[in-house]
Amino acid sequence: MRILIVEDDAALASGIARILEGEGHAVDVMATGEHAVRGARQERFDLVILDVGLPGMDGFEVLRRFRTGGDHVPILVLTARDALDDRVRGLDLGADDYMAKPFAMPELAARVRALVRRSQAQAGPKIVHGPLTLDTVARRAQLDGEPLDLAAREWAVLEVLLARVEKIVSKEAIIQAVASWGEELTPNAIEVYVSRLRAKLDPANVKIRTVRGFGYMLEEFREKKAGR
Amino acid sequence: MKSSGRKKLVVSLRVRLLKALLPPVAALLVAGAVGAYFLSLEPASEAYDQALADVGIALAERIRSEGDTVSFDLPRVAEQVMRTDKYDTIYYQVRRPDGAALAGDAGLPPIPAAQEPVEGVIAYDSEYGSRKIRVVAQLVPCGGGTCTVQVAETTNKRVKLARNIVLSSLVPELLITLATLAIVWFGVKRGLAPLEDLSTEIRTRSARDLRPIDPAHAPEEARPLLAALNQLFGQVAESSRNQQRFLANAAHQLRTPLAGLQAHTEIALAQSESAAAEGAPEGYRAQLEQVHRATIRTARLANQLLALARAEPGGYRADAFMRVNLRAVVEDAADEWVHRAMAKDIDLGFELSDAQVSADALLLREALANLIHNALEYTPAGGHVTVRTGLRNDDPFLEVEDDGPGIPEAEREQVLERFYRVAGTTGTGSGLGLSIVREIATAHGAQISLHAGAHGRGCKVGLTFPHG
Repeated sequence: MRILIVEDDAALASGIARILEGEGHAVDVMATGEHAVRGARQERFDLVILDVGLPGMDGFEVLRRFRTGGDHVPILVLTARDALDDRVRGLDLGADDYMAKPFAMPELAARVRALVRRSQAQAGPKIVHGPLTLDTVARRAQLDGEPLDLAAREWAVLEVLLARVEKIVSKEAIIQAVASWGEELTPNAIEVYVSRLRAKLDPANVKIRTVRGFGYMLEEFREKKAGR
Repeated sequence: MKSSGRKKLVVSLRVRLLKALLPPVAALLVAGAVGAYFLSLEPASEAYDQALADVGIALAERIRSEGDTVSFDLPRVAEQVMRTDKYDTIYYQVRRPDGAALAGDAGLPPIPAAQEPVEGVIAYDSEYGSRKIRVVAQLVPCGGGTCTVQVAETTNKRVKLARNIVLSSLVPELLITLATLAIVWFGVKRGLAPLEDLSTEIRTRSARDLRPIDPAHAPEEARPLLAALNQLFGQVAESSRNQQRFLANAAHQLRTPLAGLQAHTEIALAQSESAAAEGAPEGYRAQLEQVHRATIRTARLANQLLALARAEPGGYRADAFMRVNLRAVVEDAADEWVHRAMAKDIDLGFELSDAQVSADALLLREALANLIHNALEYTPAGGHVTVRTGLRNDDPFLEVEDDGPGIPEAEREQVLERFYRVAGTTGTGSGLGLSIVREIATAHGAQISLHAGAHGRGCKVGLTFPHG
């Protein structure tokens, strides 16, 4: 992946760059919004990490120019200000995710992975999550290379969770996404589908976590024994 | 405090006005009485003198002159008629030209030498025996000389007249004075009514509402006061805006280098991990971990200090409060906290219902972050933390409960103080978390409560907001 970091603080920029390079990405760093706008015209990036508080042209303006210029590259916005307005404004202007400084590097790395995955999912019909592969066109699932048998609603629930790895998906959101058959679905029914999915996915260490009173979260895939 | 101070001001204004008015009004009263006394006593007194003079004229006609011989003859009946008076005793005396008494009451005091007769008549005050008398003397030609006819009476009538005059002028004047004072008393109250309206308006506005007061409805006299107040409001608002700008800048200036520091310590840690795998000394890594932990704590402390400053008056704009659903605030922040709970193997759960409050969403998020952070910090692995929102007796509430060690009852007040830390706790907290929560609660008019959790275990911290 080719990633552009737009951040005027050299220490932070180099830190992020090294982390992402460690994950196997090619990273460019630019210190001003003007450079970023010009650079993005000349080269294609797979992801942009954009600081809001840039000198001169600020991050919001850079974001606006990217989007009005028709560039749909995934953009992760960083801000040191604590105004929620920043987040709302950033997302309104077309940012894909948002992080407040300071942040833990593993979290940044996870967000970057999620964004990359998302843009890839939009690009192709295959969703890959560790040993799990969903071919959304052929509607075929594979786990550890073996065909995986999923009922229609299990498939639907899994697709919702896969779209938001490491994020909590509320039961209501799952019901809304799954109940497109025009019938009532109870939260209890969702629990049943999730427990069936767990039975099928757990052996391959693909974990669906219950967030009590809220919903479910598909954990990022980790090799067995590689726990934190 | 506010209302008694206001009342005192009004009372003192009235009292001051009355105090200023009382001496001149009293002086006017006295002057009026004295003036009326003299103005009406003179003519009345003259009328009484005239009556005495008339008697004198009648007596003078009873004087008979034959050559040098002067005689006086008054029938007994006539004398009785003459002496008859309801209030006073009447005296008279007729003297011959040589001064010898011819008839009447002997020993009436003679005419004072200094007094000149006017048209043959002299009136003067004197004493007879021990009684005060008024004498009217007439000089009458007789027997080739001048006879003196003195008619006198005691002063009962005159004293009574004087008293009546004073009374009849004093009573209405006193009434007028009282009426004046009463009018002033109530007039001040009525006159100050617009000021009271104004103070009610100021009193009922929020402490953080710094908009200028519209002088259109204020009385002319209050406008300078209002202008001064508005100027003060403007200055406070300006300094509040400065503080907000400063906080925004400080946040940026602090957090960016901290983010860089955190990034590099994490990289160094990751590298030392692989270095350790290759046999590098272990001590280096332990130190790096210390640096990393200190960085995380510093970052958190910076965030908390900024939050504390923001929660203080002037750090936020109360007029920018919006309708916020507590449930949405929790749901928005849930992701972040669930990951931290997972890392500590704590079951973080939610029991959320809608609860609308008027609030600064950012501050609420900060309060929630501190509550959950504390719960996760002090609850051991395998424990439970539950976040609840909803309505209780119609009041919106937000509460975080854990089943950790809890806070001893004796310390529950103190933990709300800044930098207070429960003795014997091992967490890396700064002791600021709950005081931030309290500041934010105060800013929203919310009540903060600390209790033990279910079955007397752990800790339950709740914020109850004013409903509506």
